[in-house]
Amino acid sequence: MAEQQAHPGQQQATLVAPPPGTVVDIFKEVLSDIELTPYQTAGDVAIVVQREDLPRVMKTAKEHPRLALDYLRCLSGVDTYKELEVVYHLYSFRHKHSVQVKASCSYDEPHMPTVSHLWQTANWHERETKELFGIIFDGHPDLRPLLTEEGLGYYILRKSHPLAEIEEWQEDYLKLAAELEAKTKPAAAAAPAAPSEAEDRAAKVALAQKKAAAIKKARDEARAKGLSTEEEKAFVQQALRAVEEEEAKRAPVAASAAAAPTPTEDRAAKVALAQKKAAAIKKARDEARAKGLSMEEEKAFVQQALKALEAEAGPPPAPSAQAQAPAAAAAPAPPMDRAAKIALAQKKATVIKKARDEARARGMSSEEERRFVAEALKKFAAEQG
Amino acid sequence: MATELPPPVEHELETIDLNINVGPQHPATHGVFRMILTVDGELVVDADPVIGYMHRGGEKLSENCDYRQAIGYQDRTDYLAQFNTEWTYMLAVEKVGGIEVPERAEYIRVILGELNRISSHFMFAGAFGTDIGLFGTPFMYSFRERERIQDLFEEVTGERMMYNYFRPGGVAWDIPDGFKDKVRDVLKEAQQGIDDLDGLMTENEVFLARCRGLNPVSPEEAINWGFSGPMLRATGVKHDLRRAEPYSIYDRFDFDIPVGTSGDVYDRYLVRLEEMRQSARIVEQALEQIPDEGPIMAPGIKRVLRLPHGEVYARTETPRGEYGIYLISRGGEGPYRLKIRSPCFCNLSALRNMAVGNYMADAIIILGSIDIVLCEVDR
Repeated sequence: MAEQQAHPGQQQATLVAPPPGTVVDIFKEVLSDIELTPYQTAGDVAIVVQREDLPRVMKTAKEHPRLALDYLRCLSGVDTYKELEVVYHLYSFRHKHSVQVKASCSYDEPHMPTVSHLWQTANWHERETKELFGIIFDGHPDLRPLLTEEGLGYYILRKSHPLAEIEEWQEDYLKLAAELEAKTKPAAAAAPAAPSEAEDRAAKVALAQKKAAAIKKARDEARAKGLSTEEEKAFVQQALRAVEEEEAKRAPVAASAAAAPTPTEDRAAKVALAQKKAAAIKKARDEARAKGLSMEEEKAFVQQALKALEAEAGPPPAPSAQAQAPAAAAAPAPPMDRAAKIALAQKKATVIKKARDEARARGMSSEEERRFVAEALKKFAAEQG
Repeated sequence: MATELPPPVEHELETIDLNINVGPQHPATHGVFRMILTVDGELVVDADPVIGYMHRGGEKLSENCDYRQAIGYQDRTDYLAQFNTEWTYMLAVEKVGGIEVPERAEYIRVILGELNRISSHFMFAGAFGTDIGLFGTPFMYSFRERERIQDLFEEVTGERMMYNYFRPGGVAWDIPDGFKDKVRDVLKEAQQGIDDLDGLMTENEVFLARCRGLNPVSPEEAINWGFSGPMLRATGVKHDLRRAEPYSIYDRFDFDIPVGTSGDVYDRYLVRLEEMRQSARIVEQALEQIPDEGPIMAPGIKRVLRLPHGEVYARTETPRGEYGIYLISRGGEGPYRLKIRSPCFCNLSALRNMAVGNYMADAIIILGSIDIVLCEVDR
């Protein structure tokens, strides 16, 4: 958070001493020659040990009968802005006590002794901590990256690696959007209806921004005053209402939009044509069935009737240039009946098979073979015209 | 630990070990999980699990939120036990902040958390049946039951998956009218559903043949490998955080902790089945005891919390085991450090030890018996 960024070196001011009679006392007794700093967290008791002492402390913690901390609950890395810490949470099934052990290393020399030979569960935890914090656990059997197979190359959970700003995230997307906008701008300017819409949108955005600013201000003020959630809500709503009233006073009623002329006639013509077509199809089909034609023949018959209708109606009324272009492009393609299609596909298959056989006979690699077949197919297509 | 391999069969032909890649997109891996198995014939001689396909940096994201915003990321770890994971986070925040939760809110949390455990175990039973070869029937049965509970959750929270309902100091809003009766109805059906599952699977010939005696784990191994939850209890260790370190109001309820004897795959299933019954018992008691009136939020909780300096390792018993959150506060509006201890992560880390020496088809069952949720493993 912003405040933490401002005071990166901030540390817990005072360590609260744990009450007597906890597991820490046993630690002190058993490891009397080692310097331990005990303190109380909001949950377990904790001890801070020097990195050099860690292997001995951990071995004793696991194997000493009075401690018997046989379960490693959790192993976490922490970046304190000053150094890197590793925190172990241990539990004893025999004595039902738990303890938090903390040791630290510097950024320059991020090495820690491993505990994976004591608790196997530390294996993956240490791998993960190495990957995300860059702490190297000496003696660990397998320090490959765990969560990202190829490794990231940087340590995301260190505080020196901030989250990317949203603009950075969307860099590609924003660039694309800008390009798209530049491309469509002249077209949009030509369209008659666009500007009013854009203006409308701009006004809406401006209003939303004004509102957001008002909300933010009111919220900050409420928090500065120390209002409760409920009060804060009411306060913000009040501020919002004020903004809306102001807006209503200022803006005259300009919204009587002229009804845009919709191309209804165009649509009606299309509908009429479709109806005419449907009638022709129905008539032809009825006639074909009355004559007792087969399915194939019926289809041909109906198509003939349709063609006659089209000839009669003349070229269809082009509603817009856009629609005409694809229609014109589609027109020259001759309709191919099913039998011809099948024949073509069979021919193609023969060509492919032949080319493949030849390629294999020549001992080509699969890449070369693919290219060879593609070439043969291209030649075949050219032959077909 | 190392299961002894049967002596290799002598052949005249020379054989080589084969690498088989299972996943990441594979129905038997319960999500995006990949394991590279080395097999000698049908025997697994090495297994290398590859995780991280769902890694979203949830810990980092939470450290860049305020305390309220970070709740949502907890739903997205264990997406089958969302209330339980949210609850752990709440415990951590409340412990550091010294926040007392009103009684009614505690009961709501217990009811929802235990119902969630039932629905999660239903999901396990269904998916596990499919792993074993009981295609369809148990899966459909358990999904029917789960759906009823899901509807209930939707009624309370407005969401089917990502509930985001618990808040530091209580819950977001009160439960709807007539909720208690609905829970009773659903619970009755769920209990019938548990019995149905029991009848379908427990004595099933296929089920017994494939699960009983498969991959027994000793208590010492389980503890050393960091097992928790049903995986640990199946080995005979009677350890349940609800009893061992009672959080919330679990000291008020009467329930048993089912344990297995041999730690094999069959025991893991049996423990989960019995746990569902015990959860139903807890919900029944909670419904009896819950006060009809009362606050659901601690008084004076600001929307943007500022916790004092402090750290805590909070843990709860989720359906998959010990879900822990190590939270460090430095007086800011959000967590300074939030580490998630995922039970599946620890259970899964021993997959190599468990799978080696078993048949390839059994490795899939062993993986299924962990009841992994990959979003929780990768975080």
